[in-house]
Amino acid sequence: MDDDTIVCRCEEVTVGEIKQAIRDGAVDVTGVKRRTRSGMGLCQGRTCEKIVMRILAQELGKPVSEFIPATVRPPVQPVTFGLLAEGSDD
Amino acid sequence: MTNTADVIVIGGGVIGSAITYYLSQEGAKVSLVERGDVSSGTSSACDGNILVIDKMPGYDTQLALKSQRLLAKLVENLDYDLEYAQRGSVLVVEDEKQAKVARDWFVRQKESGLPMHYLEGRDVFEDEPLLAHDVVGLVECASDSSLNPMAFVYALIAGARHAGAMIHPFTEVTGIRRDSAGAVCGVETTRATMSADRVVLAAGVWTPALAANLGVDVPIKPRKGHILVAERSPRPARRKVQEFGYLLTKFGDTEGRSVEPDMDSYGVAMVFEPTEHGNFLIGSSREFVGFDRRCNHHVLELMARRALRFFPTIRDIHVIRTYAGLRPYTPDHLPIVSSVPTVPGLYIAAGHEGDGIGLAPITGRLIAQMIVGEPTAISTEPLQIDRFTKHEQKEE
Repeated sequence: MDDDTIVCRCEEVTVGEIKQAIRDGAVDVTGVKRRTRSGMGLCQGRTCEKIVMRILAQELGKPVSEFIPATVRPPVQPVTFGLLAEGSDD
Repeated sequence: MTNTADVIVIGGGVIGSAITYYLSQEGAKVSLVERGDVSSGTSSACDGNILVIDKMPGYDTQLALKSQRLLAKLVENLDYDLEYAQRGSVLVVEDEKQAKVARDWFVRQKESGLPMHYLEGRDVFEDEPLLAHDVVGLVECASDSSLNPMAFVYALIAGARHAGAMIHPFTEVTGIRRDSAGAVCGVETTRATMSADRVVLAAGVWTPALAANLGVDVPIKPRKGHILVAERSPRPARRKVQEFGYLLTKFGDTEGRSVEPDMDSYGVAMVFEPTEHGNFLIGSSREFVGFDRRCNHHVLELMARRALRFFPTIRDIHVIRTYAGLRPYTPDHLPIVSSVPTVPGLYIAAGHEGDGIGLAPITGRLIAQMIVGEPTAISTEPLQIDRFTKHEQKEE
């Protein structure tokens, strides 16, 4: 992958920016997310997370299986303020 | 492995990073020790406000004002995009009952030299047209600003490193070492033994546990606060907006607004913050539930409902993420920025509750001045650790 390739399409984060975050000290998906915004957009990392894990594995010389996805935070899918405010019993 | 520094700072959040930055600017040899990644605790689960509008008139306000001025210099000096924006901030006044308190507040703060304005009637909606049309006033502070808190920590760390500081992430302190006279002389960690004559505890809500090992009682409690993140969308307001009732809940006054009881029991008050990326954040809540950082769905509902009360037009905008952080609460709402009389060489910088980002610059500066032995930028008496025990003695 070229350094200019976009990994996180929601926040337009490139391979090069993710590699830089790893050089700055990121050692996991959450560390990359906090430094670059990859995974902070509308899809919350569903599209880019696996690619970020592959770049981490490659840059840090570890197997991909050692990396886990970022902490899952509610809501599971985007919900409008209107619906959230009405409340639910689930 | 043994390594030696002038100062060891424990905690890689915004407070520890700011202290490390300012100390290394003074030429001190500093080692920062953090058990996880830098910016992984409360500094990664907050909003990015640099506010004076929500401070008590007097010392609290002067401290925040000094910090704002230091931040403006940091923005120039740190080679990093902090996503800093000085748009000012406003407090929304809901009714005439609040307006009385709000006008007094405004007058006192304006007299203390703050760039404050009071808007009412039609002026409110010319200023922020999308606010609910039954609100009656706005108190504005023009100097308030915001930034990306995590970027701020990374920037301070990079600046400190550039000035020679050693940063040790993923290194947990297992003990603080003392010499035969009882003074601190270093720390034991999971990676190395480190030596230094000064140790600064800047571990936020985790500070009391570190201090307890030295027989020092630090009255900080974790207070959980939730935040909702909205998708990129047209902004319902052009700058930071908080309900005036936020001030009332912050200082424990539940009389000043009429809301459903749960809003008060969870300390829910509307706080709106636009970000540089076109998203916006909605806060806030306050509850004592120990170290549990999980989001409480009921609290998120209450916060969404409160946000809609002030911004009815956001009904169809999506919430894409929520999170909760543990704010380091102290009984008098002021942080502890202090040496510790009973343990020579020990310093504490913690307990900023929701003001850690905003007060990080002045906290870093004050600790650096105390350690280097310069006069401090503002009196540190109200921030001293022994104020709590002195207070107890008075009550007895």
